Amino acid sequence: MAETDDKTGPPVTLIEPIDMTKLDPNFRKEIQNMPDGDEVNACFACSTCTAACPIANQWKYKPHQLIRMILLGMREEVLSSREIWECLTCFQCQERCPQGVRVTDIIFDLRDLASEEGKIPDAVKFLAKELLEKGQLYVVTADWEREDLDLEPEVPGLSTDEFKEILKRTRTGKIAGGE
Amino acid sequence: MSHPVLIIGAGVAGMTAAVELADSGIQTILVERKTTVGGNALDLYKAFPTDDCFYCFEGNRWRPGIRKCFYRSALLDQPNLVLKTNTTIKEISGEPGSFTVVLSVGPQYVDAAKCIMCGVCLEHSKAFDIVSPQCQPQAVTYDPSKADDGAKRAAEECPTKAIDLDAEPSEETVNVADVIVATGYHEMQPVNIDEYGYGKIPNVITQLELAQMLDPNGVAGGVLTRPSDGEPVRSVMMVQCVGSRDENYYPYCSKICCVFALKHANIIVLERENISVSVVYMDIRTYDRHERYYREAREAGVNFIRGRVQIVRPSTSGGVEVVVYDSLLDRYLRFDADLFVLSSALEAPEGGSEIIKALGLRESSGFVAPANPESEERVIVGDHVYACGTALGPAEVPESVTQARAVVSKILQSRRG
Amino acid sequence: MPTYNLYMGCSVPANYPNYEAATLKVAEKLGMELQYMEGVACCGSPNLRAIDYFGWLLVNARTLAIGEKNGHDIVTPCNGCFAALKDVWYHLKHNEEDLKKVNEELKKSGLELKCNVRVRHVVEAMYTDIGIVAIKERITKPLDGVRIAIHYGCHLLRPKDVTEFTPEVLDELLRATGATVVEYPLWKQCCGATVLPVNEDLAVRLAHDKLKSMKDAEAEFAMVVCPACGNQLDLQQFGIKESYGVEFNLPVLFYPQILALAMGMSEDEVGLGMNRVPADPILCHFTSE
Repeated sequence: MAETDDKTGPPVTLIEPIDMTKLDPNFRKEIQNMPDGDEVNACFACSTCTAACPIANQWKYKPHQLIRMILLGMREEVLSSREIWECLTCFQCQERCPQGVRVTDIIFDLRDLASEEGKIPDAVKFLAKELLEKGQLYVVTADWEREDLDLEPEVPGLSTDEFKEILKRTRTGKIAGGE
Repeated sequence: MSHPVLIIGAGVAGMTAAVELADSGIQTILVERKTTVGGNALDLYKAFPTDDCFYCFEGNRWRPGIRKCFYRSALLDQPNLVLKTNTTIKEISGEPGSFTVVLSVGPQYVDAAKCIMCGVCLEHSKAFDIVSPQCQPQAVTYDPSKADDGAKRAAEECPTKAIDLDAEPSEETVNVADVIVATGYHEMQPVNIDEYGYGKIPNVITQLELAQMLDPNGVAGGVLTRPSDGEPVRSVMMVQCVGSRDENYYPYCSKICCVFALKHANIIVLERENISVSVVYMDIRTYDRHERYYREAREAGVNFIRGRVQIVRPSTSGGVEVVVYDSLLDRYLRFDADLFVLSSALEAPEGGSEIIKALGLRESSGFVAPANPESEERVIVGDHVYACGTALGPAEVPESVTQARAVVSKILQSRRG
Repeated sequence: MPTYNLYMGCSVPANYPNYEAATLKVAEKLGMELQYMEGVACCGSPNLRAIDYFGWLLVNARTLAIGEKNGHDIVTPCNGCFAALKDVWYHLKHNEEDLKKVNEELKKSGLELKCNVRVRHVVEAMYTDIGIVAIKERITKPLDGVRIAIHYGCHLLRPKDVTEFTPEVLDELLRATGATVVEYPLWKQCCGATVLPVNEDLAVRLAHDKLKSMKDAEAEFAMVVCPACGNQLDLQQFGIKESYGVEFNLPVLFYPQILALAMGMSEDEVGLGMNRVPADPILCHFTSE
């Protein structure tokens, strides 16, 4: 009964409809122009992708809903969602899509767009830094193990300088180098 | 003098066209690959929209108002009609209006004119069979791959001497003016759609297989039991659009599966004791008057789940565990079903593409396509070549009949004057 | 003797030298000449694709171009590297504009990519180039039909149009060693490796479900052809024990280890002691003939 919280407005009794004029009608075009978005319009909302997904049961936005949100133009919500980063990229949704929508590849494209706006989880940012600094994700430390197996202690042919140079010039450099 | 018409396939469409052309005074040769006519319609149990047994439905159609079984119908009585079962097309040559067709006629082990279906042969050998009491022609069939010691005795003891075990295949050449392709469809065997487990899990079947289980004249006598262990079925789950509307398999809607499934759901819920039915769908397409099947199903208590299937696997109870994503509820549901029935796509029949090639026809997803895609003359597929029924793509029984009559009409019109 | 560009990636040499050693030794016995590629680095992993599409195209196009120079196929033992190289190849093969952009960058280091090079998983090369018959001929100690579940790995199988790989390849390769391939319901499911950085609990759960499905189907061992999947199914069994209190005790082996042992090599040669869940019980299943 005793409401002590500060109220900033009238109580929410009904949820307002999504105001379509506030959405981004070009978002679907933007996705279509990404490397794998050609077929996004073909979605007929059967939800096979969500049935195929092994982890969507704990998601707020299911795969078919993400596609729906793209088609409606809910750019901000999609690119800020944790779902696009938790996707396993196991491609089961894409394999089963009856309309040829490259669902998993589109999620990669969504991550790419989110990254452009700096919306990257810290753990992934950390990996970017590793790639930039070391030129690889894993570095040989236990070379005695290798020698025990008649392998060269250093990986033959490995050369990371040029790899690091390339990524310094591309977006990875901006993401990881800026801090 | 006469200009016969060759009809390839003695299913709903082919038989309709044959009978009606023959009735119009045209010499008709009806060729059927199998030993008995009727095609897929034989296995439908009750065909929609009348829910009649297909035989009576056909017999009734020929003599409106008189219900009599099909085996007394025109295929036997009409003198203008020659029926050739166990026969395939070997070669087609010549010009439109004057085709030369070589027929491969399989060994005629049983003389249908002599056979009285007494059943003596069945007692002696498993190689003999009666496809159905109403089969047409009215004769037993003989399968040489199952030949045993009793077969010889059966032949000797046949009271009408209708059996010739030494029968050889032969060839026959016919000259015809027109060809009607009525080669029908095949129900897709969805073995490659991994998530449904068809072909691996015995309790996963197709709608056509379910129809045969429901048929009181079928092996099971109409009692639903689990193929895995013969236990009575208490719950059935169906899933729609298996291989249809799917760019990985067939892009088209197979058109009949929704009503086919609903019809079965209604039969199970209303005519069997204590069996529940759920249908997993993405759209229910009961166009036109078929909406009544959908309404009836809901009234009967059939459970409709809008969504798709995640995984199917054998359950500990001996049935199948099915996890379904319900897209309206946005939750995953777990079921334990005794039977999991796939509403599988209708696909072009085996051998269909050879006939399309031999006649130089256009093709669409394996089916015969109209000669002129712009035209409304769907049944005209070439010069003096016609098609009707599911040879043109998925169709229900009345539609096949309508198309067959359109072909008859086109041929009669072309010969006027 | 068929010669290949061997793209080892970073995970195998750093984390699973036993996989690397077994691959090299098996290849030698099969008459495959594997040459480590010169001047290459990491594929960037799917994470690089996610945050920096063009950078990911470039580094992998560079690897492809280096391989293309000598005309030999590129083979790799890692599903992650396989997917990266296949994906980039597929994209550039079908997108002239991006290929041009990439080549402008590659020109700076004297390279050019024409997309003629072929990329395969190293075991796929064993299957197609050596063949099951020849592999069987070299097997001296076949397995006794022991039940082994295969984890193929998502990025090896899918998307099919890109990877052009079918699961039967691994089935047949494993059967050639005398093992029984176990069918289990979750055979397509992800091991969870990719989600490890952003949601460890989820990753552990996925590994748990996967291993449970294998166990329920009475698998005695699991087989992988990828260091990330191997890590997730083998090492993660300790994480599962911590989170779920469940001990699967299901040894996980790399295919070349199984094949090497069936060819008569010793457990030390394939580094069996490095497998995290003790894998030596497999040794009881090799017959002497």
